[in-house]
Amino acid sequence: MDGRPALGIALTQVSKAFGAQLALDRVDLQVDQGSFVAVMGANGAGKTTMLKVISGLAAPTSGSVRIAGIEMRKAGPRLRALVGVVSHETMLYADLTTEENLRFHAKLFGLRDPAEAVTRAVERLDVAHVLDKPVRALSRGTRQRVALARALLHDPAVILLDEPYTGLDEAAAATLTELLLELATPERILMLTLHDVVRALSGPRRLVVLSGGRVALDEPIAGSTDRMAETYLGLLRAEARR
Amino acid sequence: MNDVKTDAARQQPVGELRPDALAGPVPRSRRRLWGIATLVTLPILLGMALLWAPEDANQGAAQRIFYIHVPSAWIGFLAFFVVFVGSIAFLATGKRRWDDLASSSAEVGVVFTSAVLITGPLWGRPVWGVYWTWDPRLTSFLMLWLIYLSYIVLRGYVPEPLRRARFSAVLGIVGFLDVPIVYLSARWWRSEHPTQFVVESGDLPPEMLATLLVGLAAFTFLFLYLLSVRRSVARLRAQRELEEVGR
Amino acid sequence: MNVLSPAFTIAAKDLRLELKTRDVVASVGLFVLLVVVTASFSFPTGGEGREGVAAGVLWMAFLFAALLGMGRSMAVEKEDACLEGLLVSPAPREAVFLGKLFANLGFTFAVELVILPVFVVLLQLRPGGGTWLVVLGTFLGTLGLVTVGTLFAAMAVNTRGREAILPLLVMPVSVPAMVAAVKVSEAGFSGGMADGTLSWLLLLVGYDALFLLVALATFPYVTEE
Repeated sequence: MDGRPALGIALTQVSKAFGAQLALDRVDLQVDQGSFVAVMGANGAGKTTMLKVISGLAAPTSGSVRIAGIEMRKAGPRLRALVGVVSHETMLYADLTTEENLRFHAKLFGLRDPAEAVTRAVERLDVAHVLDKPVRALSRGTRQRVALARALLHDPAVILLDEPYTGLDEAAAATLTELLLELATPERILMLTLHDVVRALSGPRRLVVLSGGRVALDEPIAGSTDRMAETYLGLLRAEARR
Repeated sequence: MNDVKTDAARQQPVGELRPDALAGPVPRSRRRLWGIATLVTLPILLGMALLWAPEDANQGAAQRIFYIHVPSAWIGFLAFFVVFVGSIAFLATGKRRWDDLASSSAEVGVVFTSAVLITGPLWGRPVWGVYWTWDPRLTSFLMLWLIYLSYIVLRGYVPEPLRRARFSAVLGIVGFLDVPIVYLSARWWRSEHPTQFVVESGDLPPEMLATLLVGLAAFTFLFLYLLSVRRSVARLRAQRELEEVGR
Repeated sequence: MNVLSPAFTIAAKDLRLELKTRDVVASVGLFVLLVVVTASFSFPTGGEGREGVAAGVLWMAFLFAALLGMGRSMAVEKEDACLEGLLVSPAPREAVFLGKLFANLGFTFAVELVILPVFVVLLQLRPGGGTWLVVLGTFLGTLGLVTVGTLFAAMAVNTRGREAILPLLVMPVSVPAMVAAVKVSEAGFSGGMADGTLSWLLLLVGYDALFLLVALATFPYVTEE
């Protein structure tokens, strides 16, 4: 065991400023292959920004982001091919059908066989029956599954999900949890942001809590989750008082 | 332990749009120097322009507005060159002071360009018989003025400082590169309807030239002074922003 | 990764979207037709020198068409964070810009293709041997307008003013391209190359090339967060 897996995400002293506001404040974070990380924190703590910096949507003000040891700044396009991004917004064209949307993204990702990739993704997410429907006509839960299918088209090694549970009903949320557990293989990295501490502790294997753009807590999720939930809520309360 | 680190962060802000730690405040002493130089040279310019310089044989007293018009035009152009340089520097480095410089210079530049657009017609009426003519230079300044007004309007529409800086830098670059093309097109456009005036008619009498040079100097000092004041305002705003964030 | 192939993929997607919704071409086309008809009533479009007035009216109409189309096409990307979907793909930023540029050019050309013959008939123009010049001027002028416009549209949708401030950004900067395009069209409507037409064409080529380079260089800054 060399302790340095081939695929990992490394944030080194990453800061991101929006004006005077520091969304990330010198964050150091190492995520190894096979990790399933829940990122939590109050609104504005920097969760979304952290995912955006890793996905290449936002450039860090200072510090470096590396995926598989390669600097994001230097090899953006190549690294983005390794990453799949899901947010609570679908990134789908509402007037195009499911199939048209997925095919478009498959081509955009330069996949060798777009049709095959689409078939694989829709089967995995059980959305084959809505291939011909415009995205506009789909329910929120189905839309989210199509959005996930979009992100999985190129079978990414890193999957980033920004508040994927937002707006889902219980059934859809349960399906999502199942899918995430299925995706969390030893080859992949999964990182998701969410607000529900129970969900965060029943699946993910590591909890990172951000507060004011800094890592306030970073622990493996093991043993008594009650204690971790208590710690997390304590952090939130302390932040609210400030 | 963690708290200590946060304190250090407060003292030494990082990040592209935070006030640069190294830049410090705009030096006051230099601003005072520009202010004094302006206060000294502007009255001299007025004296020379109104009393000393000879009256133009054809244009009469109206020609004397030239000593304000030409320096304003020079500063208008210089100001937008500074916007251009500041914009490129901002995109290259991401340092807030470049955005402050560019946006300050744009505002000051609009003031001087407005002076060009006001003094031009004031002179044109007695000399050409019309307030406005689509003279290439005047047309170019009108376009310059419009481009940088849109620059200022754009900034007002982007509340988020980083975006604001990026967007206006792009407009600052595009706008400045557009100027020579505007000038060229205005010249060709007019060449089909030739107009008969010539502004720089060969050699200026030495008194006129000297007055013009003093005018250029006085206006440059005024520009540097105003730019320095405007940059301090930008810096104060940045500091207030920092305090509002409360960290 | 190659730049052109994702660019064409994006443009093809926009075309497909447009074929479904007919958002841009229908609303913009009708609007521009109305502009042309209204302008024909408002300006002296018959008699001597009508080619000059016609060219001016035509380019005002084209300008409106391009502005409306570009604003609409970027607003679609803003809905449901579709633009982010493009940006997280391995396609380079330049490809995203070119894709939107091609799509916007496509829409604008489509509208122009319909408007131009109608316009020639309504205003009783006889370009004859100058037709190629009208077409070339339309191509070069539109390219310049849409290049600057696509860059600025990506900025405008991220402001408080949304697409509404797009004209404020595009119009002042595009004046030289408009003047040149009007001059070339005027010569074309009058039957062929006139004195100075070549200079205007060269100015258009220079404008297009310069701002295409500037747009490619600055677009990554516009889309970054």
